[in-house]
Amino acid sequence: MKKTFKFYIALWVAKIVAGLLKLLRRNASFLPGKIALKICPDFMGIIEKPEKIIAITGTNGKTTVSNMIIDALEKCGYTTLNNRIGSNVNSGIASSLLNGATFMGKTKKQIAVLEVDERSSKKIYPYLKPNYVLCTNIFRDSIKRNAHTDFIIDIINSAIPKESKLILNADDLICCSIGPENKEKVYFGIDKLDTDVEETTNILRDIRTCPVCNTKLKYEYMRYHHIGKAYCPNCSFKSPESDYLGTNIDFENKTIDIKTKSGTNKYKLISDNIINIYNMVAAIAALTELGIETQKIIEIFNDFKIVETRYSEEKVNDKKVVMYLAKGQNAIACSRTFDYIKHAEGKKAVMLNLDDFFDVKDSTENISWIYDTDYELLNDDSIEQIIVGGARAKDHCLRLLIAGVPKERIKCERYEVDAVNHLDLEKVDNIFILYDVYTVPTAEKVKAKIKEKIMQNVEE
Amino acid sequence: MKIEVLFPESCNLYGDIQNMVYLKKCMPEAEFIETAIDEEPKFVKEDMNLIYLGSMKERTQEKVINKLLPYKQRIEELINNNTVFLFTGNSFEILGKYIENEDGSKIDALGIFDIYAKRDMMHRYNGMVLGKIDDMEIVGFKSLFSFSYGNNENEYFLKLQKGIGLNKETKLEGIRRNNFIGTYLTGPFLIINPLFTKYLMELMGVENPKLEFEETIMEAYENRLAEFKSKRVSEQGH
Repeated sequence: MKKTFKFYIALWVAKIVAGLLKLLRRNASFLPGKIALKICPDFMGIIEKPEKIIAITGTNGKTTVSNMIIDALEKCGYTTLNNRIGSNVNSGIASSLLNGATFMGKTKKQIAVLEVDERSSKKIYPYLKPNYVLCTNIFRDSIKRNAHTDFIIDIINSAIPKESKLILNADDLICCSIGPENKEKVYFGIDKLDTDVEETTNILRDIRTCPVCNTKLKYEYMRYHHIGKAYCPNCSFKSPESDYLGTNIDFENKTIDIKTKSGTNKYKLISDNIINIYNMVAAIAALTELGIETQKIIEIFNDFKIVETRYSEEKVNDKKVVMYLAKGQNAIACSRTFDYIKHAEGKKAVMLNLDDFFDVKDSTENISWIYDTDYELLNDDSIEQIIVGGARAKDHCLRLLIAGVPKERIKCERYEVDAVNHLDLEKVDNIFILYDVYTVPTAEKVKAKIKEKIMQNVEE
Repeated sequence: MKIEVLFPESCNLYGDIQNMVYLKKCMPEAEFIETAIDEEPKFVKEDMNLIYLGSMKERTQEKVINKLLPYKQRIEELINNNTVFLFTGNSFEILGKYIENEDGSKIDALGIFDIYAKRDMMHRYNGMVLGKIDDMEIVGFKSLFSFSYGNNENEYFLKLQKGIGLNKETKLEGIRRNNFIGTYLTGPFLIINPLFTKYLMELMGVENPKLEFEETIMEAYENRLAEFKSKRVSEQGH
């Protein structure tokens, strides 16, 4: 697209705003792009972009995968344009493009690695046309914003350029329905694991019947929710084969083999969490597709560490206090967190502080999502106490009772910090504090009170 | 007692199916039959005390219409003989005349009720509802891509004090004909409305219905009711 007078005005005004925001030490990852798009709606189409663009989308894991790809490319000497510290909607991406361009709108970078919010597809792909689109997975998310998986898939499919090569999760049949008209596709997945089952007990399984003939799908193996290797017993519909297959996972020696058409290579396993192993295999697939040599990727992954933004632990005397961002209103994220806690070692207490910050302040929360979430996973003998705090405490307590958790293990308080009073340190080794994206300050107060209680206990 | 849960593998959005999980806890002796979408519904040949259908994706609505169309007469017969039905979320739209897409195309539905639905997939409505059946106060959540139109003045489920009814222009929510209850309210509707759950069990013929976890469920209900009555819960959704 030709650079217009309007484009230059948008570029310069937005660059000045970005500069001012930086001077004031304010976040410049959204507003400059918003201003540029307001002045010149096709700004993203006109601005010069790097030669190669990869977009990373999906319900969960897109930030982790994007960060891995950016770090790996930069270690290979490439300069990347990315929205790592910015927003993943159109204004955020416009801000990143602006930041990666000169005052004349020429690109300064070699490769663009952009995390894209699924719902923003229609406002982004018509202008960007990525060479590659990687989708990590598609799950049910916020009821209010994301509705259901068909809705999200329809948005992506209505916008995704047909020329883009797709990198999709073979173990996620919903993700595999992206881009029916795209000719070039590769798949990544993880081979059967010892922990796989024939039938999961997860509440959410958003594809249960064959999309071709409505017959109930069968699985060679199931992992969690709708993730697994499926086939229809009545027609030829089945999960695709993985072009990048994670196999022979050795948790003890921390290695994983990645099997491709050109051979099998051993990589260092950077996490023992299956979610992050999927993220790792997805990043390896993307880097290979971007033309990075296998040996180089192996070397890079040898030094890689997953930056855990959602999980942190601290040893306080003989107790472990864990902060875990569980993401309220996201049934899958909470269910996976509950599953992690169930399988964690030791006797545990869970501080459940999942209220939506804005709904508590301004309204009342639609609690439907807690009935999509597997609270049943918290019904485990290793979880001695579940202490619920917040405006919706009674609702969570009721949900736990319906999940079969014995009444004596549940405590309930209106205010999160007060709920710490119920913590019985004699019973537990590890305390998990679950919180939401916008409730970090409250979670920190809860943690401080727990630490105080542990130290008091030691003194006594 | 026999309860048929229709197509739970496909019609289970927003926690709707947990309505039946909770009901099962209140009625441990009852037989709950789950019918998959590729099976013939049991109500075709047997009488049921309750037939339940939950919220579904828009494409699934079309599959369910095709599935139930051959049994239209039987459904009408059951409604006329006072069988209890509970259809939550967008599920009762399949019993209207048609569902209209944004482009004006129409999907013929069963035509049992004199209403029709219109979809607007780019504008999701989220809101809350406070209403009454006689003196019983009902609370609920709506999260929808569609509204229904037509006259439900003589066949409504709830009269609302807060929130919107079948569409933004009416305070009359849902459809009620004999013991057929269809409501746009989604999610754990029975769990957040324990008094209605008792009422529903009475309609089904349960003598002295009991609520499981009665103390906690009533406390949660009273809390929510107070919040819904407060000024901060807005009249209209967004």
